[in-house]
Amino acid sequence: MKKTIFASVLTVSALAFAGCGSEDTANTAGEDGTFEPSKGIEMVAPAGSGGGWDTTAREVARVFGETGIIDENMTVINREGGGGAIGWAYVHAKEGDAHSMFVASPPLMFVPLNGQSEHGHEDFTPLANMIADYGAFAVREDSEFEDLNDLFDQMKDDPESITVIGTSAPGSMDHMQFVRIAKAAGVDPTKIKYVSDQEGGALTAVLNGSVDVFSTGVGETIEQVRAGNIKVLGVTAEERMEGEVLSEFPTAIEQGIDESFVNWRGFFGPPGMDEAAVDYYEAKFQELSESEEFAEVREKYGWNEMYMGSEEYSEFLEGEKEEIAALLEEIGLGQ
Amino acid sequence: MDAFQGLLTGFQVALSLEGIMFVLIGVIVGTLIGMMPGLGPISAIAIMIPITYGMDPAPALVMMAGVYYGAVFGGSTSSILLNAPGISGTVATAFDGYPMAQQGKAGKALAIAAISSFIGGTVSVVLLMLLAPALSSVAISFGPPAYFALMFMGLTAISSLSEGSTIKAMIAAVAGFMVVTIGIDPQTGTQRFTFGNVNLFDGFDFLIIALGLFAVAEVCMLILNRKNRSLSDDQKLGSLKLSKADLKEMSGPVSRQSFVGFLLGVLPGAGATIASFISYIFEKRIAKNPEEFGKGSIKGLAAPESSNNAATSGAFVPLLSLGIPGSGTTAVMLGAFLVLGVQPGPLLMTDRPEIFWGIIASMYLGNVFLLILNLPLIPYLAKILSIPRPLLISLVIMFSLIGVYSISFNVFDLYMLLVFGALGFAMRIFSFPAPPFILAFILGGMMEQAFRQSMTISNGSLSIFVDTPLPLSLLLVALISLLVPAFLKWRSNRLAYKQR
Repeated sequence: MKKTIFASVLTVSALAFAGCGSEDTANTAGEDGTFEPSKGIEMVAPAGSGGGWDTTAREVARVFGETGIIDENMTVINREGGGGAIGWAYVHAKEGDAHSMFVASPPLMFVPLNGQSEHGHEDFTPLANMIADYGAFAVREDSEFEDLNDLFDQMKDDPESITVIGTSAPGSMDHMQFVRIAKAAGVDPTKIKYVSDQEGGALTAVLNGSVDVFSTGVGETIEQVRAGNIKVLGVTAEERMEGEVLSEFPTAIEQGIDESFVNWRGFFGPPGMDEAAVDYYEAKFQELSESEEFAEVREKYGWNEMYMGSEEYSEFLEGEKEEIAALLEEIGLGQ
Repeated sequence: MDAFQGLLTGFQVALSLEGIMFVLIGVIVGTLIGMMPGLGPISAIAIMIPITYGMDPAPALVMMAGVYYGAVFGGSTSSILLNAPGISGTVATAFDGYPMAQQGKAGKALAIAAISSFIGGTVSVVLLMLLAPALSSVAISFGPPAYFALMFMGLTAISSLSEGSTIKAMIAAVAGFMVVTIGIDPQTGTQRFTFGNVNLFDGFDFLIIALGLFAVAEVCMLILNRKNRSLSDDQKLGSLKLSKADLKEMSGPVSRQSFVGFLLGVLPGAGATIASFISYIFEKRIAKNPEEFGKGSIKGLAAPESSNNAATSGAFVPLLSLGIPGSGTTAVMLGAFLVLGVQPGPLLMTDRPEIFWGIIASMYLGNVFLLILNLPLIPYLAKILSIPRPLLISLVIMFSLIGVYSISFNVFDLYMLLVFGALGFAMRIFSFPAPPFILAFILGGMMEQAFRQSMTISNGSLSIFVDTPLPLSLLLVALISLLVPAFLKWRSNRLAYKQR
């Protein structure tokens, strides 16, 4: 019964896949106040396979292992659901566990601000930020708009004539990065028409002219720009990015709109993680960020380097959260 | 002759020793995973991503593609034998496949499914080869209003998907609509019917519903009817041989639905599941003997089987030519492409022709392998039905639980499987049909989103649905398919009255 054997192999691997976390939350700080992991480290991607969080977690775990920066085995597990909330709840329950962490990005802020998670970034122990990514606003190649100011002028005159599409729900990243830049340009943020398409139809709707503007990540636009299907009116980075196509994208700041948005990506531990452990991971992440191997990974995916240690990260997140909360309040999505 | 040259390159990749080996591995793994109720290609490909890391991208992707269409090919087996859909694309296969198996024609049903799958898969690969570059414009031709119209057209079939009481069919459909609204509403971010339970934020995965309403409910019925011995005698394998009449009967649906399935597969978001339902309904609508559908009709089995396989190849059009994943599985494949350092999109064909054409050429090969693998296996597969009933029941329950758990490794989903199993059982007992529930669940979510996207874009004006030819013509087709049967019925009634 080949079928049965195969099934049992699969079952076992599925169980192994899911059940890697053990419940050991003992304080493992050494006697001299330093920390060394004493067993495998569980890295949670609060989403399914193949997405941004999963890829980041897997690449980081791989490079940690291959370079030997962290000797202990690092296993990535997927805890999918609720836009991240299920994974966050899972890690939150591991209070004080120094062998557990998860990958996060701005949804860790947006989702709780939208009232869809009990846990926000302040409920976890920030370890380090690793990567910066930026948003891009794209239109069809033959669009009348040549730059962001063309678009925003039109939106000031007739806000009903422009529809923006993104993948995330209103109040989350694709929406709010656009609102933030548009507001700085003088557009009434309460009048921005935004639709969400989570079935992969957002780019389609821009290409066939159903909607006008695509608010997305820079990486999603490169191939389409190279193929001459769309043009990027502006990106949310502070300075021009580097790279073959990327360096052609003007920033909003260059166009006289003094605002930016960074899609940060970093790592958090459970609440109450020991300070010695935080110091340990912080240093290891810094080493990883500076390594040649990780530079290759960044280049492969078009990510930018943005290392922040635990404390700096915390302060940065506080500032971001205040700004986003005020913006959500203004457009009537505040909780 | 760019495409021809490209195809030659592709066959060089696919017909190399390495290529053949990975196609073979892919389709074998795919078939096996597809055969097991609930286990689908998504988790299989996800598990493969870390394994293929560092591999040459062409064979790795050829293998993953093989898993995908292999699973759709194999998924029909458990739908037919156990009424437990192997994957979501083969739910409609159970409508007529399972009754056929119960009538002692399991072997025949499996053979029809395999041949229909093969033809659907092959026709669509040929279309993919010839038209992939040109079809990218078809893939983006559907905006939100057109999607709404397409889903609406599909829904007009609810009444025709049920036997007996239309009112009960409508009640089942409304229940399907209600269930699909559970979760966070994408257009506003509002929680609907979640009761603050984080496990409900994403709504229900289609497989939970399908396995609950079909597999678990079927198991309950088997337990209830355990004294009924008629199914446990040995005639149930039946002959494998298809008569000329059988082949003739399936030729129409297969040739039509291979094209329909392919086109629906090309549309992002539609995919194999929706394609199989629409093809089933299509054939039932035009059949001379629609009353046979749902009772073991060859047409009703051949239509979804050719369509879901064709749609699977079709789904590669937006992925390969636009970089747009049209379904959950292709979204995971997109991730696999990126991990292997390949950017799918409009430039893939020129930048990496060996990958673009290699995948397409390998699918031709893979479909041949699948047919060769599956046909001789049929007698052995059909023996599953000879497994003692208590063991079989336990196996179906176990596989359903594993399948649901593997979706997102969440125990809550297992309870939900049991809840929908109980619902499905109750529906059986009180003779509410399950297909309208399933159809409303599949189409309802996309239909609602497309409607509301359209309303935002048009600032609330309904004219957006009739301003452009595409949604208008789809809505007209929907209207005709609603009115014509009613008119025909009225006319025949009147004729009968006159004759009297």
